[in-house]
Amino acid sequence: MYDMLAALINGTLGWGWPEWALNLLSYILVVTIVLVVAPLQMLFFTYYERRVIARMQDRVGPNRVGPEGIWQPIADGVKMFTKEDIVPQAADRIVHFLAPCVVVAPTVLMFAVVPWGPGMVPVDLPTGLLFFFAISSISAVGLMMAGWASNNKFSLLGAMRAVAQMVSYEIPAVLSLIAIVIVVGSLSINDIIAYQTGLIVSNRDLPGIPDLGLGWFVFTPVGFVAFIAFFIAALAEGERTPFDIPEADSEIVAGYMTEYSGMKFGLFYLAQYVLNFLLCAITAIIFFGGWQGPGVGWLYAQGITPENPNGNGLFNVLAGVLGVFYFLLKTYLFFFVMVWLRGALPRLRIDQLMDFGWKFLIPLTLANLFSAALWVAFTRWGPAEGMLITVGWSPVLRWLAAFVVTLAINLGVYLWLTRVYAASQAERRRAELEELIAAGS
Amino acid sequence: MLQTQELQVNIGPQHPSTHGVFRMLVTVDGETVIDLKPVFGYLHRNHEQIAEANSYLQNMPYTDRLDYFNSMANNHAYAMAVERLAGIEVPERAEYIRVLMVELTRILNHASAVGFMINDMGAWQTPLAFGMREREKILDLFEMASGARLMCNYFRFGGVVRDLPPEFIPNLRELLRALPAYIDELERLLRDNEILLQRAIGIGILPPEVALSYGVSGPVLRGSGIPYDVRKAEPYSVYDRFDFDVPVGKVGDVYDRFLVRIEEMRQSKRIIEQVLEQLPDAKGGHINPKARQNVRPPVGDAYARIESPKGELGFYLVSDGSTRPYRYKVRAPSFINLTPLADMCRGYKVADIVVILGSIDIVMGEVDR
Repeated sequence: MYDMLAALINGTLGWGWPEWALNLLSYILVVTIVLVVAPLQMLFFTYYERRVIARMQDRVGPNRVGPEGIWQPIADGVKMFTKEDIVPQAADRIVHFLAPCVVVAPTVLMFAVVPWGPGMVPVDLPTGLLFFFAISSISAVGLMMAGWASNNKFSLLGAMRAVAQMVSYEIPAVLSLIAIVIVVGSLSINDIIAYQTGLIVSNRDLPGIPDLGLGWFVFTPVGFVAFIAFFIAALAEGERTPFDIPEADSEIVAGYMTEYSGMKFGLFYLAQYVLNFLLCAITAIIFFGGWQGPGVGWLYAQGITPENPNGNGLFNVLAGVLGVFYFLLKTYLFFFVMVWLRGALPRLRIDQLMDFGWKFLIPLTLANLFSAALWVAFTRWGPAEGMLITVGWSPVLRWLAAFVVTLAINLGVYLWLTRVYAASQAERRRAELEELIAAGS
Repeated sequence: MLQTQELQVNIGPQHPSTHGVFRMLVTVDGETVIDLKPVFGYLHRNHEQIAEANSYLQNMPYTDRLDYFNSMANNHAYAMAVERLAGIEVPERAEYIRVLMVELTRILNHASAVGFMINDMGAWQTPLAFGMREREKILDLFEMASGARLMCNYFRFGGVVRDLPPEFIPNLRELLRALPAYIDELERLLRDNEILLQRAIGIGILPPEVALSYGVSGPVLRGSGIPYDVRKAEPYSVYDRFDFDVPVGKVGDVYDRFLVRIEEMRQSKRIIEQVLEQLPDAKGGHINPKARQNVRPPVGDAYARIESPKGELGFYLVSDGSTRPYRYKVRAPSFINLTPLADMCRGYKVADIVVILGSIDIVMGEVDR
């Protein structure tokens, strides 16, 4: 953002601002964009979810406020603002007040590293991915604060569930992303997107592939397993069905949100939908190329001439618009999948959730980590690193070998794990049944 | 210093999934249920006492409000009790119409019970919408016959209030054509869903001897493997003329109760088809013309029981020779099926409580009366 402003103000307009003023302006702009975009996404998501679920249930959904009910989320927001804010008498008032803030702040901060289009990232951190997940886990503290401060047993149960679930599912989520980080060799989100150029095969792995912006990680065995594992973990992180255990409405009313009303409840709601948006966005970015798509790279390249290395403004804007379109399309598609699951599936129980995370997802992602290392070894290492097998192989052959080996490992581990996991589930069930029958007779 | 403490949680009386105003005082150790105490009475409306101040016919619409899902079945049991007390004959055709209505009630009750149960497991209302879909068509049929969808008040002493309208039978046949596919779909909803299977199999086991000692009846008892059905054990009305099976479960868990309900819907459809075959030959009209509605039964008492969708529904009436019952007692299946809840829930997780409660299929209007 700073470079763009500097070029515009001091370059094109020639105003000659000092550096601190440019810095200040760029910070203010970034913060404004982040703070406006986050609630807008949340508003759209609530409407989108309600309409899609209504279609699944043979209903119409919100259709009264404005054309096709498009202003319904605004009306809901107004309702949230004007509602009475009730704090239980026995609650810890300070912590009760702070909890929603602690939950919302990290989710908004996470927007800082999300790239929307080519060159359209608020802050391009070299450790963007690390920042993203480090910040997201802070909200678990807020959930525990909410549950404890409300002095309500449902809240406490919900908070315990939420923290247990978020902490357990962060491990497979991060492990599956580390596989990608190994392949790319960078934690920067922009680098990860830049890697995914090409057509089915990334042209970083196999130079010479035409760049259509389709060299997504999901087309590789490593990326595919990581994607599945990450998306499942993201459902748990975002407390979406079938892992919406912390706020299971049919069991513990609303979990940690039970004692919240008015805008404090609204903040929890906001945090949740913003987090869902971000998880969908990061899935799209890491595994589906983010803003990469047919035409973006080409448009971007059109403006670049030897005398104009940063590109022509018009082509940059066109590429940006197309990139944002692709990015939002992918993100909304993943959110659609989340809504679809919510409309179709019941909820898992907390112990089944833990079982699945620790006994299935974590071993799978660990094996995938190994595959990722092999992928790098096959496609990039030479005799200097001790990779003597591939000496003299052509890039295509090396890529094929990497593909086949990682596919075999991942598929084998998956099949083995499903058998072991299913067997452990059946054994557990049988043990439970025997115990019960023994207790009954 | 680490210290653990058991937690007492009040689930209800205002709770999203207690099926009305029902309260469970649950003692939990983390997520595991140690003890559970069902508390009810929040919906007590003095039903039995009010009934003793009304004339016999005035009570008929009151019985609708007991188990508001199955008003036809309630009507049937009450009408039978009064007919036994006053010695009123029921014509054959009326009996067939009664059986038809009660079996339709069974289908709609089981469909929505299954839908509600899956809702309690946390599905976001889509399975419930599935369960409610065919229920609407059955309610349309009820509306044609009785003029009301839920509180039908259709039965009278000696028959039913009016004959089936001419468009009823074609509509019913159309419904029967759609029904098998619908029931299969409902069954696939559970059998093909791994999460649902995990949540249902081995949960809330009710051993047969425990079920018997509590006097449980209906699908809950049959889910535990005891083939007891009042329609077979003590055939009333014209049930001895039909060919149908009594499905039973093996283990007595939530899954078995679900499967029993699904199978009962199929059996009800079989009964309805046989009713449609035999109805044209049935003698008599829709009501016994000699039956007085303002009955004044002789001194005595009578008990009539039927297999209502939720279990054995009985009405006990004592007459002192006046136009009002001296004593009016309802044996409500929901109430009696609810009593072993604590035994079924102990040792399971908090999330299982609501599923077990959903699998018992209670209606608080009947529990509290």
